Amino acid sequence: MNDLDDDQLRDMLQRLRRFALWLTREASSADDLVQATVERALSRRGQQRGDDSLRAWLFAILYRLFIDAKRRERRHARWLAWFGRDEAVGSSTEDIVLAESGLAAFARLPTEQRALLLLVSVEGLSYKEAAQALDVPIGTVMSRLSRARAAMRELAEGNTPPPALRRLK
Amino acid sequence: MSRLIPSEDELHAYVDERLETARRREVELYLAAHPEQAARVEGWRADARLLRTALAGLAEQPANPRLDPAAVRRAVRQRHRRQWASAAMLLVALGIGGLGGWQARESSLQAGLAPMADAVQAHRLFAQSGTLDLNVQRPGQLQAWLGEHFAQAGQLPDLSAYGFTPVGARLLSNEQGPAALLLFQDASGERVSLFLRSPGEHYARMPSGERVDGELQARYWSQGAYNYALVSPAAEPRAAQLRQALGIAL
Repeated sequence: MNDLDDDQLRDMLQRLRRFALWLTREASSADDLVQATVERALSRRGQQRGDDSLRAWLFAILYRLFIDAKRRERRHARWLAWFGRDEAVGSSTEDIVLAESGLAAFARLPTEQRALLLLVSVEGLSYKEAAQALDVPIGTVMSRLSRARAAMRELAEGNTPPPALRRLK
Repeated sequence: MSRLIPSEDELHAYVDERLETARRREVELYLAAHPEQAARVEGWRADARLLRTALAGLAEQPANPRLDPAAVRRAVRQRHRRQWASAAMLLVALGIGGLGGWQARESSLQAGLAPMADAVQAHRLFAQSGTLDLNVQRPGQLQAWLGEHFAQAGQLPDLSAYGFTPVGARLLSNEQGPAALLLFQDASGERVSLFLRSPGEHYARMPSGERVDGELQARYWSQGAYNYALVSPAAEPRAAQLRQALGIAL
């Protein structure tokens, strides 16, 4: 049993925030997500085994929290729609981060592809670690990576020069 | 020979530098001979680079102190304390003393039918307690505190004519909203308390009256926006006068 200490967690904070931003695309919800992740990591530190990758474990907690929150949000949106109060999902936090970093085109990739690209291409996780973080078999990681890269190519080639991609309300 | 043709997975592993050295060489050779595949791979690599560059800035945001593990741990502790505190307050409000569980709640609801049972309960719990929300240091302080929490309360009378001076107060709450216990003490250390809260479902506005509950006596009345109760030892001879003084002033 490898006790997770505060410094190890601290070292991962900025990476977790980047992943959260990339997923939520909105700074304050990203930090809420990271805070919830740290809280859960602290309360479950006993479950982190020394031979598993700490960063994969932390990314996994964050990703699961994000997916759960999104599911709740969708259910909420469905309820609103049911009662005639249609709310365009996600229009309020219009991809601020991606627009700023010149990656607006990639905002159209599905969440699981974006998450995988970040973990593999930016964070440098191995395929095994990425599979652990996203809680999918390694075969799924490979096929998803293939689809994600193909989609990204298409977007990059089809959108030069990028038109005004930010949706106007 | 078939080993020379890299699979799709191997091409990705090549981009991500996850291939063993020997195999990487073979893939390099293959790509050199197949410009179409090489262009695909180069495109993936360019996208990865673009992502890395674009997102590098995101890892350099100013630190957010509330995300620090020590701060998160502190916040969790505080939340637990608050939960405990409100659970404890609820128990007090329901008039549950030392017992626990559903049975206690049942009996407390029945006991709750006795007028101002919560006043007597609050007196039992807090009259001798040192942990008050307000400890009176100077005259006028209790009146100011009362006005702050109970906007429609009147003036507290000066009880020094009967030998009692203000000690302090404790803010409570029940399902009807805030309640308060105000403590007074005489020179011999005897304590009486004034309890007040808004009328509620279990404690509707009520006729004035008094009752003895064990060794304590409660004198209660409704006035203005609140129900009041004066709780004193049952044998206290000055209680009737205190009650009158309070009834006139408040």
